[in-house]
Amino acid sequence: MRLIEDKDRRQRAILNIIVLLISFVGVARRNQSLDETSAFENILINSFAPIQSSVTSVRTEISNFFDHYIANLNASKENVELRKRVSELESQINAFEELKKENVRLKNLLQFGQGLGYKKVLAQVVAWDASSDYRVIRINKGLADGVRLQSPVVTSQGLVGYIYRLTDHFADILTVLDNNNRIDGLIQRVRAHGIVEGFNNEKSIMKYVSRAEPIILGDVVITSGLGNIYPKGIKVGTVSRIERESYGITQNVEIAPAVDFGRLEEVVILSAENDDQKKKEWEALDQMDEAEEARNQKGGR
Amino acid sequence: MKGDWIKLLKPLGITLLILVVLEIFSTALVPMLGITKYRIPFNVLIILYLGFKLETPYTSLLIFALQYTHSFFSIEGWEMGTIAGVMICIVISYLKDLLHLSSALITILVTQMFQFLWFVIVSTLLYLKEDNFSYIVEKFWRFVPESIVISLLAPFFFGILDVIWRAEAERSLGERV
Repeated sequence: MRLIEDKDRRQRAILNIIVLLISFVGVARRNQSLDETSAFENILINSFAPIQSSVTSVRTEISNFFDHYIANLNASKENVELRKRVSELESQINAFEELKKENVRLKNLLQFGQGLGYKKVLAQVVAWDASSDYRVIRINKGLADGVRLQSPVVTSQGLVGYIYRLTDHFADILTVLDNNNRIDGLIQRVRAHGIVEGFNNEKSIMKYVSRAEPIILGDVVITSGLGNIYPKGIKVGTVSRIERESYGITQNVEIAPAVDFGRLEEVVILSAENDDQKKKEWEALDQMDEAEEARNQKGGR
Repeated sequence: MKGDWIKLLKPLGITLLILVVLEIFSTALVPMLGITKYRIPFNVLIILYLGFKLETPYTSLLIFALQYTHSFFSIEGWEMGTIAGVMICIVISYLKDLLHLSSALITILVTQMFQFLWFVIVSTLLYLKEDNFSYIVEKFWRFVPESIVISLLAPFFFGILDVIWRAEAERSLGERV
């Protein structure tokens, strides 16, 4: 036992073992589809997220500055004043154009899903996940704005994802590109069911679609409404590739998401009025599962 | 820095602050510039530094603190990174007499090597949990450019962390240079 001869080494070995054990338990228990934050995490995320939001705003301002002013540095001296004036006017026009575009976008967003019976909360994207393994975006609305865990998130183009983690003023969305997000999807034309899973930055895949289903490229995939998270009929994407092996009973379908995640700026959270009812339903289902498990264990003995 | 954990608190606080600033840069600024596919894992870089340069029994707790801070910016959580970090520090402690961070080039190469080990550990855990090999392959193609950026940053970054942790006087990896 040379390894743990001196005190420091022994202490190091003990701490390493304890931290590793706790981490392994944490990995096993971690739920990749939902995360309820503790009060401490809530405070810290609420402290860091506004900085992320500010950095985003500052970047936009700097970008505007470079776009509208630096380009004019090469102007001749005699035209400096005139060019400055033109630049200011152009900047104003650009700002108006931007406002006009934003107005159209927000109007489209708010018109979307009018018949769904959800309270709509408009939010802005402030950051992306720190790890490239996860396709998660952070928005500037939270519990205080009426957002709830597992609320679906959409744009006028289609489905973005659902609320995975929530604090008072910010929320993390698990997007349809993340492989932990699984959606019961429906091919709109042929009404074929399958499970849509995120795959990478550009596409999702639809699994368990029967080989006999006559799917073609360009078919639209929508949410089926099963699974108690997404309402029925929201566009997920379009079929971009179909792979049928010479064996097996299913086909692999690749889906190009309806939402352009590279240009995502605003989203709408569909917050159900009867979320408490939904929560009670989940709890009742969990209790039924636990009761059945207990019965099975008794039966086993 | 052996044993005296109070001495570790100040440099740890500064390092956590640096990590927070870098995470904000990585999550808010880089994606807004259109780079949404890749992120720079600064947490990995800092943890590798702790493994290379510090000799304290509390390394695993320092790794936990860094990973816990990282988890506020990622749904990845703190667990997998902590496991990978602690395991790598154990490996480094056995190899410390063979490794010499005597030049920038060697620092870059050694950092790249241990990032690969990090990738293997995390991928194994992900595979055990998700049973999805194609995801690991896809992760590998993202890992390659991200790890190269981290390795290139390592000599500069380790210099800054040396000042914060005053590690040069305590111990450099392998023989003193």
